[in-house]
Amino acid sequence: MLIKIAFRNILRQRRRSLLTGLSISGGYFLFALTLSLIEGSYNNMIRIFTESHVGHVQIHLDDYLTRPKIYKSISDKDEIETILSADNRIIGFAPRIYSPALSFSEEDTAMVQLIGVDAKKETTVSRLREKIVTGSFFSSQGGENDRTQAMVGKGLAIKLGLDINDEFIVIGQGADGSIANDVFVVSAIIGKKSSGERMNVYLPLQALQEFLSMELSVHEYSMLLEDVADSRSVAKDLQKKLPELVVSPWQEVEEMFYKSMEADKQGNWVFLVLLMIIVFIGVLNTVLMSVLERTREFGVLRAIGYRSGTLVNLIFMETVLLSMMSLILGVIIALPSIMWFSDTGFMMPEPMDMGGIEFQHFKGELTAQILFLPMGIILLFAALISLFPAIRAARLDPADALGKF
Amino acid sequence: MKVIETSNLSKHFGLGETRVSAVKNVSFEIEEGEFTAIIGPSGSGKTTLLHLIGGLDSPDEGDITLSGEKIAHMKGNQLSDFRRDHIGFIFQAYNLIPVLSAAENIEYIMMLQGIKKPERRRKVEEILETVGLTGLGDRRPAMLSGGQQQRVAVARAMVSKPDIILADEPTANLDSKTGMKLLEVMKELNREFKLTFVFSTHDEKIMNMATRLIHLRDGSIERDEQK
Repeated sequence: MLIKIAFRNILRQRRRSLLTGLSISGGYFLFALTLSLIEGSYNNMIRIFTESHVGHVQIHLDDYLTRPKIYKSISDKDEIETILSADNRIIGFAPRIYSPALSFSEEDTAMVQLIGVDAKKETTVSRLREKIVTGSFFSSQGGENDRTQAMVGKGLAIKLGLDINDEFIVIGQGADGSIANDVFVVSAIIGKKSSGERMNVYLPLQALQEFLSMELSVHEYSMLLEDVADSRSVAKDLQKKLPELVVSPWQEVEEMFYKSMEADKQGNWVFLVLLMIIVFIGVLNTVLMSVLERTREFGVLRAIGYRSGTLVNLIFMETVLLSMMSLILGVIIALPSIMWFSDTGFMMPEPMDMGGIEFQHFKGELTAQILFLPMGIILLFAALISLFPAIRAARLDPADALGKF
Repeated sequence: MKVIETSNLSKHFGLGETRVSAVKNVSFEIEEGEFTAIIGPSGSGKTTLLHLIGGLDSPDEGDITLSGEKIAHMKGNQLSDFRRDHIGFIFQAYNLIPVLSAAENIEYIMMLQGIKKPERRRKVEEILETVGLTGLGDRRPAMLSGGQQQRVAVARAMVSKPDIILADEPTANLDSKTGMKLLEVMKELNREFKLTFVFSTHDEKIMNMATRLIHLRDGSIERDEQK
C-alpha cells in the first residue's frame, strides 16, 4: 500500500513530476555520456601513449629508470625472455638500449639519443614502424657501402640536413669507457619535428651493442599486454620471478604523465559534481514543495496513527521511485548515444599529436561502470536529499499540521 | 464505563504578556456511548480541547485518561499507536487521502493495524453499506460530493472500532440537508454500536441531537448539560 500511495503521489502533480523526472533523466544522460567520453578519451590517450614507445610494463636493472647509466644493463636475456614468453597476458616484448651521443653532418652538430631496437620484436611492442614518414625500417643487413642503417627523428633530420641514404657521424662513449664513433646511413625519418622522438636515432640492437661495447646486454625490456588494465598485476607477478631486476608498470615509468592525467580526470569530476548539484537542487525543490503543500495531509496521517518512521518511508519511497523511473528513461536515452560514441565516435576538425602519433578520431567508452556508476550516485543522492524533507514532515506536530481539524 | 476522564486540564499558548490560556482547569468524564457536543463561541477553546483529548497536542497541566490509559505524557510511536487503535477522527474538511479511493481510505487504517487483507476488504464492504456508500468504494475523493466524502470520513473513523470518535465541526462544510443526513448516520452508529462521539460544534442540529452539551467559555467549562 505504501508503494501504491507513493506511486500515486508521484502522478498527483504530473507536470512537476515530469519536469523533475526529465531533469533527473537529463542529468543521468549528461553524466553517463560525459563519463563515457572522459574514459574513452583517456583510454585512447593511454593506448596511444603506451603503444607509442613506453609499452605497458618495463624491466630495468636497479634504478636505471630514474638514474640511467650505460653500465646499468641486463645481461641474462635468455631467462627474461623465457619468462616473458610463458606469460600469455603478454602479447609482445622487445629489448632496448639507450645512450646519449653527439652526431654531426656536413651542415651541423646535434645531441641525440641513441636507441637500439630489435627490428622484429620492436614492432610487436611499439608503433615505431607507423611513425616512419619517409624511408623504410632499417634492415640488419646494413645499407649502402655496408654502413649501418639508422632511423632519425624529423627534428634531427632538419637540423643536420639529412635525407634518406645520407650519411652522418655519431660519437659517443662505450660501456668500457672507450670512445665510440661510426658513420650511419639514414634509412627512415621518424615522426614530426615537434614530436617526442624528434632528436632520436634508432639503430639495430646488435649494431648499437657493438658501438657501445655492451656485448649482448640491454638496458630495458618493454612489453605490451593483452589488457592494459593488467599492467600493475603483471608487473607485480614478474617482479616475484625476477627479484634481481626492477619491473615497473607504465604508471611508474611515466609517473608524471600518469599523475597529470589523473589530476585532469579529477578536474572533469568537478563538472560532473556541478551538474549533479543542479539536478539535486531540482529534486530537493520538488520534494520540499510536495511536503509543504501536503502538510495538512501529513497531519491527518499522523492523526490516524501513522508513525513518523512510516511517513519518512513514504516520502523517501516517492523520491526513490521517481528517480528510478527517471533513470530508466535516462538509460533508454543515453544507451544509444553512448553506443554510437563508443562504436563510431566522431572526427575532430584538427588532428591531435600525441607521442608522434596523430589521432583525430574521438571515441567514448561503454562499460557497466559507465552505465551504473551515475545511476548509483543519482539514486543515492536523491535518496539522501529526500531525507531532509521527510524528516521535516515526520517532525510535524499533528495539531499544527492540521490547523483547525 | 468511563471512556474519557480529564482532570484540571490546562493548555497555554504564547509567553509573558501574550500568554493565552486556551484551556483552563477543565475536568469532565464521558461514559461509553455518549453523544456529546462541546459548544461555545469562537476562541472558547473547543478545538484545543479536542486536540488534547485526541492526543494531537499535550497539556501543560492536568491529566487525560482514555480507555483507562493516561495519554498526557505519551510520546512518539506510542502515542501514534494509541491514536490508531483507540481514537477515530472526523475533520471539518473531510481530509481524506486524495490519491486513495474511498474504499482504500477506509482500509488504510486497518492496514496500519496489521489486519489481514481479506478481513479488511470484508469490513470495508460492510461499512460502506452502513454509511450508505455501497458501490462508490472505487471512487477517489475528488469524484465524491462533500456529503459522501464526509461519510467516508465517518467510515474511516469507525472502521477500526475506536473507543471514541472525535469530530470537529463535521457538518460545517455541508448544506443543512446533507448535514442532517450525516448526523442521522452517526446517531444510528452511536445507537447501534454504542460508539462514543464527541463533537466540537456550532451546529444547532448537532446540539439538538446530542445527549450532553459541554459549554466552554474562555477555556473553562461554563456549564455541563445532560439532556
